[in-house]
Amino acid sequence: MDKAFASLAHALGTAFKENPGEHWPEDVFDQWAQRVFTHQFETNPVYAAYVRKRDVTPSTVAHWSEIPWVPASAFKAVSLVSGDSARVQRVFRTSGTTEAGRRGEHHVLDLGLYEDALIPNMRRHLYGDGQGGDGPRRPILALTPAPAAMPESSLSYMLGAALNVLSGGEGGFFVTRDGVIDTVGLSEALVEAAADATPVLLAGTAFAFVHWLDWLKKRSATFDLPRGSLIMETGGFKGRSRVLERPEFYASLSEAHGIPFEAIVNEYGMTELLSQFYDGPAEAVSGMALEARRHVPPPWVRTRVLDPNTLSALPMGRPGLLCHYDLANAGSVMAVLTEDLGIAVDDGFRVLGRVQGAEPRGCSLAMDDLLSGVRS
Amino acid sequence: MKKTFDACRLPCFSGGLPTAPATFVWETIDVTESVTVRYPAWPGDAAEQLLGALREAGVLLAEVPVRDLVDCIGRVADRFLDSSDPLRHEAIDLLVPTAGISKEMASEILTGMAHDWTADRLTELLWRELGDPGVLDGFRRVDEGRRLRAKGPLLTFHVGAGTVPGVSVTSMIRALLVKSAVLLKPGLGDVVLPVLFAGALAEEAPELSDAMAVTYWPGGSSAIEGLALQRAEAVVVYGSDEVVTSLRARTPVTARFISYHHRLSVGLVGREALTTERAPGVARMAARAVSMFDQRGCVSPHAIYVEEGGAVDPGEWAAQLASAMADLEVEIPGGCLRANEASAVHQMRGSAELREASGGGVRVFRGDGSFWTVILEDEMSFTPSCLNRVVSLVPTPDLGGVAGSLGKIGRHLQTVAVEGAGDRLPRLAEALCRAGATRVTSFKKAPWPPPWWRHDGVSVFAGLIRWIDMEEADQAGSRVATRAGGVP
Repeated sequence: MDKAFASLAHALGTAFKENPGEHWPEDVFDQWAQRVFTHQFETNPVYAAYVRKRDVTPSTVAHWSEIPWVPASAFKAVSLVSGDSARVQRVFRTSGTTEAGRRGEHHVLDLGLYEDALIPNMRRHLYGDGQGGDGPRRPILALTPAPAAMPESSLSYMLGAALNVLSGGEGGFFVTRDGVIDTVGLSEALVEAAADATPVLLAGTAFAFVHWLDWLKKRSATFDLPRGSLIMETGGFKGRSRVLERPEFYASLSEAHGIPFEAIVNEYGMTELLSQFYDGPAEAVSGMALEARRHVPPPWVRTRVLDPNTLSALPMGRPGLLCHYDLANAGSVMAVLTEDLGIAVDDGFRVLGRVQGAEPRGCSLAMDDLLSGVRS
Repeated sequence: MKKTFDACRLPCFSGGLPTAPATFVWETIDVTESVTVRYPAWPGDAAEQLLGALREAGVLLAEVPVRDLVDCIGRVADRFLDSSDPLRHEAIDLLVPTAGISKEMASEILTGMAHDWTADRLTELLWRELGDPGVLDGFRRVDEGRRLRAKGPLLTFHVGAGTVPGVSVTSMIRALLVKSAVLLKPGLGDVVLPVLFAGALAEEAPELSDAMAVTYWPGGSSAIEGLALQRAEAVVVYGSDEVVTSLRARTPVTARFISYHHRLSVGLVGREALTTERAPGVARMAARAVSMFDQRGCVSPHAIYVEEGGAVDPGEWAAQLASAMADLEVEIPGGCLRANEASAVHQMRGSAELREASGGGVRVFRGDGSFWTVILEDEMSFTPSCLNRVVSLVPTPDLGGVAGSLGKIGRHLQTVAVEGAGDRLPRLAEALCRAGATRVTSFKKAPWPPPWWRHDGVSVFAGLIRWIDMEEADQAGSRVATRAGGVP
């Protein structure tokens, strides 16, 4: 790792670990953001040229919100490294749902910084006791491939790191690289947890959960997980053959595992961002309607909701495009405009989903649609 | 105060159908913050009544002479073209929020569309397509011993795409000309013109009133859709590949199915057009072809292949095109986009700008505060546009090589606008036709094919009408005599 980045990453990691639940005042975040932006401008020539075209330099940025974002899809088009690209430790890739589409790549200079961001945030949301103290060391039962089997998956990496640090190495991974669920192994692990009265964290993609639920349903199997167990689901159903509405999905998860609704937490994350957002501490969402839940950014992330037409920030309550400013992305690009629609609320945002749903207007075709047309 | 537009125009039946829309259960969609589109939910029995009544009206419609139909429709077209007519103003005001286009664009589109609905254009269409339009009124002698009649379906069911306003009116008019009653479900972006058209036509010709129903519902969501597919003799669908696939699967084999799935178009600019004198003019025409309909038409170019080696190189021409796009944004501004459309532009444009920033030859020209974008690519490849005035320029060493590379999109390829191919044009057109194109034209004509254009390669009335041949008995038994002579 180059020195400039190493010292920045170290300083950021230290800041993340201090009081991870405490909101950073605007000026604190702003100072950090400007420092990260300056680093990115100086060490990432591609991003710097992009920024300069907008007549922006670190000296023109009066507030972090003026830092130019890159679109999430840019991670498919170019490699965005803020530092010595020869020292990239890992390349995370977005999941390839089509053969034709290029996959997005996040070149990570410092996996340590990724862990410094993910661990305190996950500890706060999934390993607390609901009162700000530590909760049980829930073993992680992951419905994802193991990090060693799928090194390009940032989700596998995240759960691997959490398993080492937060659950004391207890738990395991129950999906093969090819996406096959080790249903027998997972069943045994869940039965064992119930027998030992050990609360667990069952974590995976929504899509994997749907297949797991189908498997359970066919066998009329259910589990009675110990109190304090949690489910973390992530990823949505984009481009998949089976889509479930969230209430229906949560009801099935709840019923199959013997845990209450409020013990199910959505993690909103993406390969392009090294920080994550949770729509609970599980305990705090008790009795809350699903649609009332909101995702809370960790203190080192700010999220703006932008008007899709004008790209100006929208007031609370008005839906727009989510644009994240994530200091954990110091080694790539901090400001990322997503294709997700959301609404700003008090201490976070509500995700409304991918921008789509309206009837398509225009003879627009994605490349994979074209190619599937050719194949058929 | 929120404005509500009823995306529904129904016949005034006497026989039991809810005549007053107040008796319907209405659903609403907020298309903008200030405009709501309202449409009736169709319970099965009401849908059945509507379809039955339309079929009855179809029987009466068959008695109206085609000349009268052309005249009535033409009078409505004249109203849409008349800048002093309140109907035109109402149409333009409503198009802006419902179609997501600017007022200037609404005016441009309405003029272009209504021009092709005038009596002169429809008459020419009928003569070109049918020879003698009288075949729609009765048997006409076409040559010695043979008479011909053309009969339209009793009822056609039209499903519009909603991408370009007015397209579903054109579809409706074609069915009316062959004397078919019409049920039209327009796309959400094209609800205004068919409703206003049907209303105005009913005023002009009360005898047509009961033969037209326009009513919106979200595709696939209503009981009326399945019933309409069963009751109509012909089904006409404009839409995405998925929509066409779904409706085709549900249409009975005995009904005619006419469909226009996703299509896309491209442009080709050859050396001969890239002279210092010609290039800026070609750029202006290309900008208009790309920007018309905010690029949502099947005729709108997604990419333009620009030949190298001319006096004006692709980079310079890209700058000329960008300048023309900027001018056009002032003359005919782009519309207000839906979140998904705007997001797609931000993603595509931002990614292209990062490719530009990473060196190589990519260059991006873009509007400030508007969506138009010109992306000069640095390699020969085709990427579909995200639409709304985003066009790729692909430098190519030789126009002759382009057709081959279009093969992979051949099944979706439609219009190819060619400029400056010189005497290479005939050979180029042959190659484009092998690649799948169904129209070779200029940038100027690209947005506005004439009414008799063989849309996606098919004649206008081919699927709609049924020809009936009547062969007359021979005079004075000459054949009998021959046969008698041959068979002892």
